Amino acid sequence: MSDENKSSSVPSAGEPVATRSAAPMWIIVTTLVLLFIGGIYFDRHSGWFNPKVYAPYTSAENLEGFQPQSGAAAALARGKKTYEAVCGICHGPDGLGKPGQAPPLAGSEWVVAKGFNRLAHIPLMGLAGNIKVAGKDWSMNMAAMGAALPDDDLAAVLTYIRSAWGNQASAVEGDDIKKIRSGMGGGSQPMTHDMLMAMPE
Amino acid sequence: MNLTENNSSCDREINDSLRVPLLALFGGAAVWLIVGLVLGLIAGIKFHAPDFLGACPVMTYGRVAPAANDAVLYGFCIPAALGVALWIFARLSGQPLALPLVPVVAANLWHLGVFIGTAGILLGASSGHTWLEYPRAAAVILFAAFMLIAVSAAATFGWRRQQELYPSHWFLFAGLLWFPWIYSTANILLNSHQLPRGVVQPIIGWWFANNLVFVWLALVGVGTAFYFLPKIAARPLANSGYVLLAFLTLVFFGTWCGIPQGAPVPAWLPTLSSVAAALTLVPLLAISIVTLKTVCGSNVSCKGGPFCFIRFGVMSFIVSGILYVSAACPQYSRILNFTWFGAAQTQLQLLGFAAMILFGAIYELLPQVMGKPLPQPALAKAHFYLSMIGVLLFFVPLVLAGVVQGEKLADANIPFADANTAALKFLRVSTTGQMLILLGALLFAVNIFIMTIQWKLGIAKTVIAYIKSPLETAEVKS
Repeated sequence: MSDENKSSSVPSAGEPVATRSAAPMWIIVTTLVLLFIGGIYFDRHSGWFNPKVYAPYTSAENLEGFQPQSGAAAALARGKKTYEAVCGICHGPDGLGKPGQAPPLAGSEWVVAKGFNRLAHIPLMGLAGNIKVAGKDWSMNMAAMGAALPDDDLAAVLTYIRSAWGNQASAVEGDDIKKIRSGMGGGSQPMTHDMLMAMPE
Repeated sequence: MNLTENNSSCDREINDSLRVPLLALFGGAAVWLIVGLVLGLIAGIKFHAPDFLGACPVMTYGRVAPAANDAVLYGFCIPAALGVALWIFARLSGQPLALPLVPVVAANLWHLGVFIGTAGILLGASSGHTWLEYPRAAAVILFAAFMLIAVSAAATFGWRRQQELYPSHWFLFAGLLWFPWIYSTANILLNSHQLPRGVVQPIIGWWFANNLVFVWLALVGVGTAFYFLPKIAARPLANSGYVLLAFLTLVFFGTWCGIPQGAPVPAWLPTLSSVAAALTLVPLLAISIVTLKTVCGSNVSCKGGPFCFIRFGVMSFIVSGILYVSAACPQYSRILNFTWFGAAQTQLQLLGFAAMILFGAIYELLPQVMGKPLPQPALAKAHFYLSMIGVLLFFVPLVLAGVVQGEKLADANIPFADANTAALKFLRVSTTGQMLILLGALLFAVNIFIMTIQWKLGIAKTVIAYIKSPLETAEVKS
C-alpha cells in the first residue's frame, strides 16, 4: 500500500489499495434524513417499547380506547355515551349549551351543587319557566328526558356531567336515583325554579 | 533489498501454506453445494409432482427443504468464504498462513458437522428453527470448527507486515467475530434444555436468520468483492470514505432488521426493524457507488471469468438488498408476507450474491495457490453463464409468484388453494433455473476435483520418486 501503487496501473499480482477520501456530505445528510424520518415513523407506530402494544395499535392511548372498562372509569364512559346520545343534542357535547335551546352544564351552579337532589329532579320530571344558570336568565321548557332511563344510566349521566368539562362534584350512584324516583310521588308536572328551591339540595 | 525476489519467495510461501487448508475447505464445500442443490431440486420437484419420493420419510418436503438450504449455506457458503478470507488475510498480511495445520483439522471438523447436521435433519432430528435446524451435536462441532479457523485467520491478521488496514480487512474480520457471536447466542437460547417460552423463540429465530443471511453474508461477500474487483481491474478501490460509511451502517443498522411486519410481537420490534431496513439503503447505495467507480472504465475483458462472477454477485447483492428493504416496508409487506417473495430474496442472497462471489474468488485464487492454471477453463466459463441464467430464472419468477400470490391472498373472495396454485406456473420456470444452477455447480466441482486429484497424484509421484531414488539406498548403506 505504498504511494507508488496508488496509480491505476497496479500490477495484478500486487495487493489492491483504496483511494483515501472522506465520505461526501450528501450521503451523510441522506443518512441523517432517513434517520429522522425513521424516528418519526417509530414515534408514531412503536408504542414506545410498551410490551402491551401490538400492531395494528400504535400507542398505549390508542389501545386504551379499545379496552373494556370497570369501576369509576366504566361508569364515566357509560355516562359519556348516554349523555352524548340523550342530552348532548341540546346541551352540546362540550356541555356549553346552545343559546335559545339549552343552558350550559359546564360551570352551572345547579350541576355542581353539593347535593344532587335538585339536579336529579330535572331530567326525571322536566323543567319549565324562568331559571337562572351561570348568571344568565333562561326561559325554556325541558321534557322529562331522563324519566325513561334506567337508574344506573341516569346516575352515570349525572356523574359524568358533574365531573366533566372542569366540573368537580361528587358521583351519583344508581341507588340514589332509585330513592329519589320513589320519593317523587305520582305527579307529572314539570319542575319550576320555585319547586326546586323548595326541596332539599 | 530486492523487492521482486522477496515478493516471489513470499508468494510461494503464502501459497504453500494455504494449499492444504484451502483444498480441504473448497473440496468439501463443492460436495455440499451439489448435495444442497440436489436436495433443493427434489424439494422443488415436489411442487409439480407431489408424490415424487413421497413414500420415503427421509425425502419429504419438510426435511428436504431445510436440509437443502442449510447444505448450501453451512456446507458451501461458510467454508468457501472462510477459505477465501484466509487467502485474503495471508495476501494482505504478506505473510504465510499462521498455524496452517489448524484450518486443515477445522475444515474436516466443519464438514463432519455439516454431515451430522444434514443427516440429522433428514432423519427427523431437526430443531425446527429456521437456519438452526441442525441438531445440537452438529451445532457444537460447527462452532468449534469456526473458532479454530477464525483463530488461524486472526493470527495471520495479527502478524501482518503493514499496520494499515485495507477495507476488506474490516468486513472479513467483522465476519469472523459476527458468526461466533450470533451462532452461539442463538444456539444457547434455542437449542438448550431450557427454551424461552412463546413468542421469544421466533424473535430469536428472526434475529439470527437476518444476521446470518443478510449481515454475515453481506460482510464476507462485500469484503471479498472489494478485494478482488480492484485487484483484477488493476485499479485502486474507489473512495474509502464511502466504504467506511457502508461498513459502519451495514453493521449498525443491518443487525436490527429481520422481524417481519405483522409478526405477533410487541409493535416496537417490527417497527424498529422497518426503520433499520430503510436505513440499510445507505450501505446499499454506498456499495453500489464504490463498485461502479471501481469497475467502470476498467478494461477488463472477462468472458465468463472471475471478474464476471464477482460483478454479477455485487449486482445480485444490491437487488437482493432492495427486495429485502421493500419486504420490510409496511405497505408492501401486507401483500408480500407469507409468499414466495421472501424465499426469492433468500435464494438470491445465497446463490446469486454469496455463491457467485465465492465462485469468482475461488476461480481466481485457486490457480495461484496450486501454481497451475484451471484444468478446464472452458467449464468455468460455462459455469458462469449457466449460473447467471440459472439465478435469473430462479429468483425472478419467484418474486413474481410472491406478488401474484400475495394479491390473491389479500382478496377475501379467492380461496386459499387458488392463491397457492397461482404460483405454480412461476415455479415451473424457477425449477428450470434450479437445474441450470446445479449443472453449473457440477462444472465447478469438476474443476475443483481435477485440481485436487492432480495435486494428490503429484504428491504420490514425488513420494514414489523419493522412495525409488537410488540416493536413499546409498544413505541406508552408509
